Amino acid sequence: MPPLRDDAAVFTELFDRHRRAVHAYLLGRVADPELARDLVQETFLRVWRRLPEVGSLPETGQRAWIFTVARNLAIDSYRAGATRRDAETALRHQATTQETTVAGPHAQAELAERVAELDAAIRDLPEEQRVILAMATAGGLTSRQIGEALGEPAGTVRYRLSQARARLAAALDLKEGP
Amino acid sequence: MSSPAPPDLDRLLAAWAEARRLPDADAERIRLAILPPVAPLEASWWTELNGKLSAVVTRATATPVPALAALVPAN
Repeated sequence: MPPLRDDAAVFTELFDRHRRAVHAYLLGRVADPELARDLVQETFLRVWRRLPEVGSLPETGQRAWIFTVARNLAIDSYRAGATRRDAETALRHQATTQETTVAGPHAQAELAERVAELDAAIRDLPEEQRVILAMATAGGLTSRQIGEALGEPAGTVRYRLSQARARLAAALDLKEGP
Repeated sequence: MSSPAPPDLDRLLAAWAEARRLPDADAERIRLAILPPVAPLEASWWTELNGKLSAVVTRATATPVPALAALVPAN
């Protein structure tokens, strides 16, 4: 049965509101951009199928519902044999070939190299730190929003984020930002 | 000539996030893959609408002016 126009609008609003955070979360969980993209699609397909239920929830409830689905899908993907080693190999390969947008070929190459090093260091983080880091940076979520999505206190999120940053700074011999 | 200062963690994280973020075009492809296309209105709906419009036009042109005036509520 084709969707009602209102359903499509409700879904699009939900999708636009949460897609970036969900993708960042899944990227942190599976460390494979392609797989993360597939899981984003599967997550929102389930949102679509349960739209009346999800759409009627308040925003925090929507976020919790969606992230529960995303977490279960990430777990299923491990079980399905998407091994972390393969994912990390793909990510490492992509990191070395990904273009960055800075002026000047020398600066661009230098930054790309440093980003690839950072990427490797992020992959070496404990998963709980990597997920939070990805949600905060690629997802643009606050500690409170991350906490709501993951069912963790915001203070715990801030602590893990701080741990992650410290580990990365040490691994790359970088100075911490302000 | 002085060498540029090494980028700090925030700058590198911003570059990493930018490279890893789901591009808008990919997001739109995902959205469209999930949403089934909205079906156009069926031909019978248009036929019914045309019939109703024709009836209104016919009644308006065939009804005497005094009768039409009587249909309009007085202010």
